[in-house]
Amino acid sequence: MTILRRARPLLGTLVEIVVDDGDHPCIACAIDEGFAAVAEVQALMSFHDPASELSHLNREAWRRPVSVSRHTWNVLQAAQELARRSDGLFDVTTASTLCRRGFLPRHERVPEAAADADWRAVELLPRHRVRFTLPLQIDLGGIAKGYAVDCAVLALQRHGVRSGRVDAGGDGRDFGRQAQTLHVRHPARPTTLVPLLRWAGAVATSAAYFSRRRRQGRSITPLIQPHSGQSCDGNRSVTVLAAECMSADALTKVIHADPVRGAALLAHYGARALVLEAQPGSDACRLFDSATTHRAPGRTPAPERAHG
Amino acid sequence: MNDPFPWWAVPAIVAPAAICAPAHAVQYLTVEQAQQTLFPDADRFVSQPVELSAAQREAIEDYADVRMRTDTQPVWRVEAGGRQIGWFVLDEVYGKHEFITYAVALDADGAVQGIEVLDYRETHGGEIRNARWREQFHGKQYGDELDLGDTIQNISGATLSCKHITEGVRRVLALHQAALR
Repeated sequence: MTILRRARPLLGTLVEIVVDDGDHPCIACAIDEGFAAVAEVQALMSFHDPASELSHLNREAWRRPVSVSRHTWNVLQAAQELARRSDGLFDVTTASTLCRRGFLPRHERVPEAAADADWRAVELLPRHRVRFTLPLQIDLGGIAKGYAVDCAVLALQRHGVRSGRVDAGGDGRDFGRQAQTLHVRHPARPTTLVPLLRWAGAVATSAAYFSRRRRQGRSITPLIQPHSGQSCDGNRSVTVLAAECMSADALTKVIHADPVRGAALLAHYGARALVLEAQPGSDACRLFDSATTHRAPGRTPAPERAHG
Repeated sequence: MNDPFPWWAVPAIVAPAAICAPAHAVQYLTVEQAQQTLFPDADRFVSQPVELSAAQREAIEDYADVRMRTDTQPVWRVEAGGRQIGWFVLDEVYGKHEFITYAVALDADGAVQGIEVLDYRETHGGEIRNARWREQFHGKQYGDELDLGDTIQNISGATLSCKHITEGVRRVLALHQAALR
């Protein structure tokens, strides 16, 4: 029997590749290539791995400009563009906050981050070189997983696969498929799946249900509001639909940080956001959809539809 | 425009309590398929389960810093052309929400060559009553009929950590050290 669906532990989560194309001459080879593409992104951009290109950047780019690979450059460029457009609601330099709160490991020989360092201190120079103008650390956890999914999709397509899916722990992308029902997890009860809508394309969901912890008596999450340094709301999940998984992945962080200002960026990326929020004191949840058009601004908002 | 982003002011929908789909489970590979995937060149897999002594068990726990839950580990010696080329170790891990069966391919020297997931199961989510949830979408902006069959293909959820697999692989390496050399 031909195996069309496989999963491997990569990117700190489970990565799944599905090929629908039963006639493909070597499905196993194509899936292997898909996983290899993900593994390449992991090897370059892992914060945890001291041997990654990103770790090298974090050690050296404060002292001198450092040349990076095409992949790391692509991700940094997209990250900086989104940071600029969102006025820093997306910021890859929150890594030092995540280290302090125990969500990321501390590495040796990495300079202590300056208190005022943010995305503006990351300079992208000609010929794929990167320099930090202040001591800081970068974490690409909020964007590289989506990029890895896009790379795996490209690898499968290059190997002649016409239809399939790549998923990295909830950041996924379909290609050549009919729309299928997309399920998201209930923000307060993550093993409960909520069918949401039919969709074909890329999707990413961010929420803290698997990652939140308690610290000094308070619940904290690795989703950081870059402007305030506070944890974003842990009872909310943000799902973004887009054509490419990298933008979907990164935009979930922007919507978490500020749903109102974040929504203004969705059109530029051809994206749509769906926010699921647990209702305190009940199992129900509220769904907000950026594609919803209520009545004209200034008038009374539409009443809540469908109370079930 | 005094409220340019009304999407955030009013929920598009309020989902009732019982909206749960069945607990999620996927079988990726059988043991034989995993063996062929991880060792495409092999021609023989010899089942050789490892029975651990108390001392070996302790050594593994010491080295891997992870508890050994059983005294027996399913292991296959992998051969090609009459020569041993590695080991195939079957293992299980569970976290708060999930139960994962996976296999580790070790080369003859005990280095990890590959990992494949065989089975992924989530603990049961709760009641299954989709009808009311689905009803709400009829004729609404979501329009299309949701396909709520038994197979759930697309789940978008925050990242489930594979920390338990990482710990499990460390335990498998310690087992090789203690019992397969």
